[in-house]
Amino acid sequence: MDLESFVLEVTRLRDEAEAAFRDVRDAASLEEARIAFAGAKSGRLKAVQKLLGGVGSTDRPQAGRAFNEVKQAISALLEAAQDRLAAATASPEAAAIDVTLPGRPLRLGRLHPITRTIREVQGIMARLGFECVDGPEVEDQWHNFEALAIPPEHPARDPLDNFYLDVARGADPLLLRSQTSTVQIRVMEATKPPLRIVSLGRVYRPDTADATHYPMFHQVEGLLVEKGTTMAHLKSVLRLFASSFLGGDVHVRFRPSFFPFTEPSVEVDMEWGGRWIEMGGAGMVDPAVLEAVGYNPDEVSGFAFGLGVERIAARRYGVADIRDFYRNDVRFLEQFG
Amino acid sequence: MIVSTNWLSEYVRVTAPVEQVVERLALSGLNHESTSTVGDDTAIEIEVTSNRPDCLGHIGVARELSVLFQRPLLIPNARPLEAGGQAGESVAVEIADRGMCPFYSARVIRGVRVGKSPSWLVSRLATVGIASVNNIVDITNYVMLECGQPLHAFDLSRVRGQAIVVRPAEAGEAFEAINHRTYELDPRMCVIADAERPIALAGVMGGADSEISDATVDVLIESGQFAPLAVRTAARSLVLASGSSFRFERSPDPAAVDWASRRAAMLILDLAGGTLEHGVATAGELATHPATVALAVDRVSEVLGVEIPWEQQQATLTALGFTEQTEGADDEISLWHVPSWRRDVTREIDLVEEVGRIVGYDLIPEDATISARPVADTRRQDVTRLASDVLIAAGCCEAMTRSVVDEVLDLFGSPWSDKPSLTISPPLVRGADRLRRTLLPSLLEARGHNLAVAAPHGDLFEIARGYLPGAELPVEPHFLSAVVGGEFEVGKGLVEAVLQRLGINASGLTGPPPRASYRPANHPLLATGRTADVMLSIAGRAATRVGVIGEIESALIAHFNLVGPVVAFELRIDTLDTVEDTDRAVVRPSDFPPVERDLNLIVDEDVSWSSLASAIDEACGGLLDRLSLTQVWRDDGRIGPGRKSVVVSLSLRSQDATLSGDEVKEVINTIIETCTRRCGAALRA
Repeated sequence: MDLESFVLEVTRLRDEAEAAFRDVRDAASLEEARIAFAGAKSGRLKAVQKLLGGVGSTDRPQAGRAFNEVKQAISALLEAAQDRLAAATASPEAAAIDVTLPGRPLRLGRLHPITRTIREVQGIMARLGFECVDGPEVEDQWHNFEALAIPPEHPARDPLDNFYLDVARGADPLLLRSQTSTVQIRVMEATKPPLRIVSLGRVYRPDTADATHYPMFHQVEGLLVEKGTTMAHLKSVLRLFASSFLGGDVHVRFRPSFFPFTEPSVEVDMEWGGRWIEMGGAGMVDPAVLEAVGYNPDEVSGFAFGLGVERIAARRYGVADIRDFYRNDVRFLEQFG
Repeated sequence: MIVSTNWLSEYVRVTAPVEQVVERLALSGLNHESTSTVGDDTAIEIEVTSNRPDCLGHIGVARELSVLFQRPLLIPNARPLEAGGQAGESVAVEIADRGMCPFYSARVIRGVRVGKSPSWLVSRLATVGIASVNNIVDITNYVMLECGQPLHAFDLSRVRGQAIVVRPAEAGEAFEAINHRTYELDPRMCVIADAERPIALAGVMGGADSEISDATVDVLIESGQFAPLAVRTAARSLVLASGSSFRFERSPDPAAVDWASRRAAMLILDLAGGTLEHGVATAGELATHPATVALAVDRVSEVLGVEIPWEQQQATLTALGFTEQTEGADDEISLWHVPSWRRDVTREIDLVEEVGRIVGYDLIPEDATISARPVADTRRQDVTRLASDVLIAAGCCEAMTRSVVDEVLDLFGSPWSDKPSLTISPPLVRGADRLRRTLLPSLLEARGHNLAVAAPHGDLFEIARGYLPGAELPVEPHFLSAVVGGEFEVGKGLVEAVLQRLGINASGLTGPPPRASYRPANHPLLATGRTADVMLSIAGRAATRVGVIGEIESALIAHFNLVGPVVAFELRIDTLDTVEDTDRAVVRPSDFPPVERDLNLIVDEDVSWSSLASAIDEACGGLLDRLSLTQVWRDDGRIGPGRKSVVVSLSLRSQDATLSGDEVKEVINTIIETCTRRCGAALRA
């Protein structure tokens, strides 16, 4: 037998002995383990000792050392098990442990708070029948502007208000989408009504980063197009959403606003902690948008709403500076359960 | 827009407390920003959306109040007494580009006394945050803030050649504005010039040379229409936004062009004296946009979802200045003339919004029902969730880094594309103008930050898109990327766990697809010889690359001030989510005991674990229960150079019976024979 196989054998013996002595619970099982491993006639230790003779003479000193180590280890295991049993019989208190000692640590990672918030919104909207959709972040001007009733001379298309790319599609440069409504256009172009979708993801606007602005942020937008949809449906869905998201019976309030792709357009407030909190924008899908995607506005109507994820996450978790969401400091991230 | 309550009370008498006023305004479309006391006046800052230039003047806001509180609206008269010569003889007006300026008018007042404004005027301007200059300039500001039409007053004596020419600026033309700074203009901008040079940047700011001074005697009052685009271009590119440019960008009421001019003339005669010349010098044609819009009687309730009596709808629209036309209307359809100041109203839906916002969206019920509809999560949602769960359980935190990186991060390269990255303008943040082709440098940077602040660890993952230059729209792969401390095997263990969670056979051994395998690779960012491509085989498809794993190159470890080794991986969620989550039939665990054996196989250095393992798997003929690597060691003396000892531990087990000693022996022999044949292995006794 070569040294290596012998050492392998010795290691295995030691592992098995450790397991066996650890499992000892009473005098009978202690005796059983003692015979199995340290038995004078047919104990495992004895068996391994016999193998020692088969090891070549040059390797024998090393093999002998390995054998002695395991021999000592097994006798220490036996002694420890005896002590443990004796202590347990003498006084149960002695076997007791300090239960306030820390447990063996298991490091868990965390989901980013923005992802948590998005998933929560998605989950609520799914229960209301809204399907999750996804689309490109680099967009053409049709999907980011024209189809959303934002004509070429509109200030929203100003180069300083958008991140235009160095490449174009046709004559128009591509850009990083400034809202996730682009995905709604893409879905409507490819799908006949009725539909209920929620699109979400990163959007980009050239704001100087400060405590409440970041040039990259996340939006969740819902869209429902069905026959006979009214603002009462919009309000009711948002109320269900708010009640589910915030808990309790939450009321919503509409304040008139202006967005090119909805008419009427409103800001949505939700009553939170006795105050009206601004949650996002909403409105009835503008007939021009329905026409742009090939729907007939005389047959179907719809509503859309959008929420800024950073804003609601910041409020929910008391994050005073939204830049913290992008610093990726583990000390920050680990605070989210 | 800041309004003064004293000022508003000129036009509408509202007795309600200011809190109620701001709330009603907010709930009908003029969002409240702040309220503050200025002397005996109250300043209310409201947010005016871009579709409502009519509310960029006190009269417009007063009109809203008059409708909301049902009080009459009083608009001051603007009929100044004309005397003296003809304005048309004092100045000749010409427009060179009607696209930039459809209409321009000039009134002339001679013999004014430039001086201080009366205190009522000074204090009203002060309330809305405008400092008094002199009576003439203050009046032009006052009238703009009254009706929303910007005006400009020139010292007529400085208008050379008695001529006004409205034209595109010449390229490189210099212009000194009243702020005494000189600007270089370009032809996208519109200027007001006299016979020689520009005297104002149209709709944006007057010139220093022709401004009203104490020495001014004769005044020219400009009131015109300027194209939003030219005004915006000038204001933006010269960083010279003004109250005037803000309004012209939103197209003021065309009817206010002449009214504002007359109103200003009247106030000047009152406060600064002088004589107003007869008439007005004009050029171009006033651009108007008369509109008549049909409103179906039941449309409002169809959109809002609440019944609003027709009489109430009529009264609301009438109070807002719309006039009902009987001709062409019937029982079902009404027709409405749109007032000149409401250019935003062109369609039926716009009228619906008008009724809705005034009558109040609070009337809309919040208990309408929608039908139930089944929704399943998409495979991408599932894949994303499962993969994140694995990495979280493994102790990694999810990061979110910027999609756009700076040149330094970009130049480290990408495992996915060697084409130059796409760039954006302006940069996302300072210097960051490259759309990233991999998430790894951003994650390394975040890891470096965590190390620098002595955070508990810096093991991070991120799920986000990359951007690879493509034919038309760029390709946007969906990456799951991670950077963790440890050697290659740590990263590979994570990848295997993720893939297993997705129902993919991740061991690299033979077995039914979908199955992952790993092959040596070389990629930017990752260390040579310690990097692999992750290949995915799906039944009926060629194997495709779905990811990379590798230890981070030492140069990058140094660049990001990390402590090595650090391993990274990047997986393509957008390919992994095409793997169907098939409901596989389970294999019933065997009731029979396993037989365990260790084999020490000596092979050449270049024999891979996967080739050895698949030979063993094949040789077992379905009896292989478990196979693991115990150790690999090398010893030139004992096993020779260029060779390695691979100790494997395997467990054999049958589904149907307890394996006999002979059966086991036979399997072991087959294993050894197969390993010898396929991998040149020799059993070491």
